[in-house]
Amino acid sequence: MRALLWLASIIAASLLAFMLGGYATDVYRKMLVWIALALSYNFLFGVAGQIAFSQFAFAGVGAYGVVILAHKLGLPFGVALAGAIALCSLLAFIVAVPSTRLEGFYLALATLAFAQLFLVVVNEGGDLTGGTGGIAGYRLPDVFGYTLRGPWYTVVLVLLVALTLHILLRLERSSFGRACRAIKDNPAVAAAMGIDVRRTKVITFTLTSTLAGLAGAAYAYVDNVINPPVFGLDNIFLLLFMIIVGGMGRPAGAMLGAVLLYLAPFVLEPIVGHAYLVLFGVLVVLAILFQPKGLIGLIDRLVDRLGPEQRA
Amino acid sequence: MDDFLELTVSAMASGCIYGLMALAYLIVLRPTSIINFAIGEWSATGAFVGVGMLSTLAWPRFEGPYILAIVAVVVVLGLLGWAVERLTVRPLIRRGAAVTSPILALLGVLVIFRESLTLIYGADPLPSPPPFGFKRIEIGAFAGASQQFFIIAVTLSLFALVWLFFERTVWGRAFEAVALNRRAAALMGINLGRVTALAFAGGAAVAGLAGLLMSPMTSAHYMMGLPLAIQGFTALVIGGVGRVEGALLGGLILAFVEQLGARYLPIPSGLTLAFPFALLILFLLLRPTGLIAPREAR
Repeated sequence: MRALLWLASIIAASLLAFMLGGYATDVYRKMLVWIALALSYNFLFGVAGQIAFSQFAFAGVGAYGVVILAHKLGLPFGVALAGAIALCSLLAFIVAVPSTRLEGFYLALATLAFAQLFLVVVNEGGDLTGGTGGIAGYRLPDVFGYTLRGPWYTVVLVLLVALTLHILLRLERSSFGRACRAIKDNPAVAAAMGIDVRRTKVITFTLTSTLAGLAGAAYAYVDNVINPPVFGLDNIFLLLFMIIVGGMGRPAGAMLGAVLLYLAPFVLEPIVGHAYLVLFGVLVVLAILFQPKGLIGLIDRLVDRLGPEQRA
Repeated sequence: MDDFLELTVSAMASGCIYGLMALAYLIVLRPTSIINFAIGEWSATGAFVGVGMLSTLAWPRFEGPYILAIVAVVVVLGLLGWAVERLTVRPLIRRGAAVTSPILALLGVLVIFRESLTLIYGADPLPSPPPFGFKRIEIGAFAGASQQFFIIAVTLSLFALVWLFFERTVWGRAFEAVALNRRAAALMGINLGRVTALAFAGGAAVAGLAGLLMSPMTSAHYMMGLPLAIQGFTALVIGGVGRVEGALLGGLILAFVEQLGARYLPIPSGLTLAFPFALLILFLLLRPTGLIAPREAR
């Protein structure tokens, strides 16, 4: 039954790709990348309670990694993709081992410093990274003989979201996910229960950052352009806001937040201009003050209220 | 050698700004354990409030008394900091929310401030007049712009004042008591809510002053906040989060590493942007207590 539901959702989301025009396709594809990023960030921040600002930097490592390996160094695409993902995991592991010792917001600032260092390196990378202009003018090569163009690439992104969601749901429902939540609630108690706190934190950080790298690699072929500002700080704040507004620690909340905050500017910008960003800030403050469970918590409450009436 | 001495003045001035930002963090962080990342935007707000005071109040060509701008910044930012504490931080503390909740709420506040600045003042940089013009000043072998000496003088006096406040006044001791042990301090009859409110007001005022002092060199700009927030935090981590002197020391070390590195190291200038981040990571990992250890309870 559950498998059928998954299949139906994937097919529905894929069919949508074939019905959209050029501009709508672009919007839809980027939304899918945001959802994938929000899902992995939700696990790191919402489930495991680690506030890190490096999610977009790792997406950048994935994107720049695959483009440089495949198009600057001319490696076969499969090798390039595997190489970029491996690089992401390795870097994430190197960052995670020392920095997961840091508590609370100090982790955020260490990862923020890492994210800024990544931007400096990319900006100064000369020919290899294209400097501030980034890299453009490459195209996705055939993968195993398949040419993934147009709507078919959108289907790849749908599968990316499904894969990310599947991995994270499995993880969350396993003992590992429970260990993550225990550490978030109280690290000392978790350690006393026999959970290896450091190891759990390092694995979580490495895994979610690798998933971010995968999403980044997929993003690289959405516009066939990558440049530094995309992987900067503004977007990591937006990602954080998506999780807070949607509902921390709930995959459905993360997806809801990502869809809403990603699409909101398209509706709001013609009406209020850039003031929509002020609105986002207000929304975040209000969510933390009055609705810490986010919109998904609000929906849960509504469903609960409607439930008894339906039964009656 | 002349080159080096001139660099010293300029590094001292930047270091003082970083030190003020670190101090703004510290004033909030000590009694509340809240890292208020919105401080960067508060310094940008300070710059805009000061420049607005100087340029729109009918005296043409920036001839208004500068002290008015300083007072305006301290009062307006103090009120804003107090209001933010009242509206966002206090309800969370009262509810007993985890310490990350106010920190995240303050990230929302950060965005509100930054985007409001662009709405009110536009996205273009606003030139800010230095109080003593663009003169060059030489004191002995040291030479620099008048604004640099002004920054150093104001910062040193402010640090002296804050040091006296913490060391010599009852209120300062109350701050310290809350920092050492919130519960015990509350039991001793210290009003936690008032200390927190005062901490936010004071931190905002200091951040605003830093922004105003900085603005003649960079113009008031809505993007000026985030770099200052990062540099100030780096300075705080270098100096140690426990002591007022540490904030200034950390700021000066950061500025000297940045400027000497940019001047004498044979690397592309863009890469020198990486110094504060590299320093921040190094100190967080190797010496998280900073150079000056917090004072033990006496």
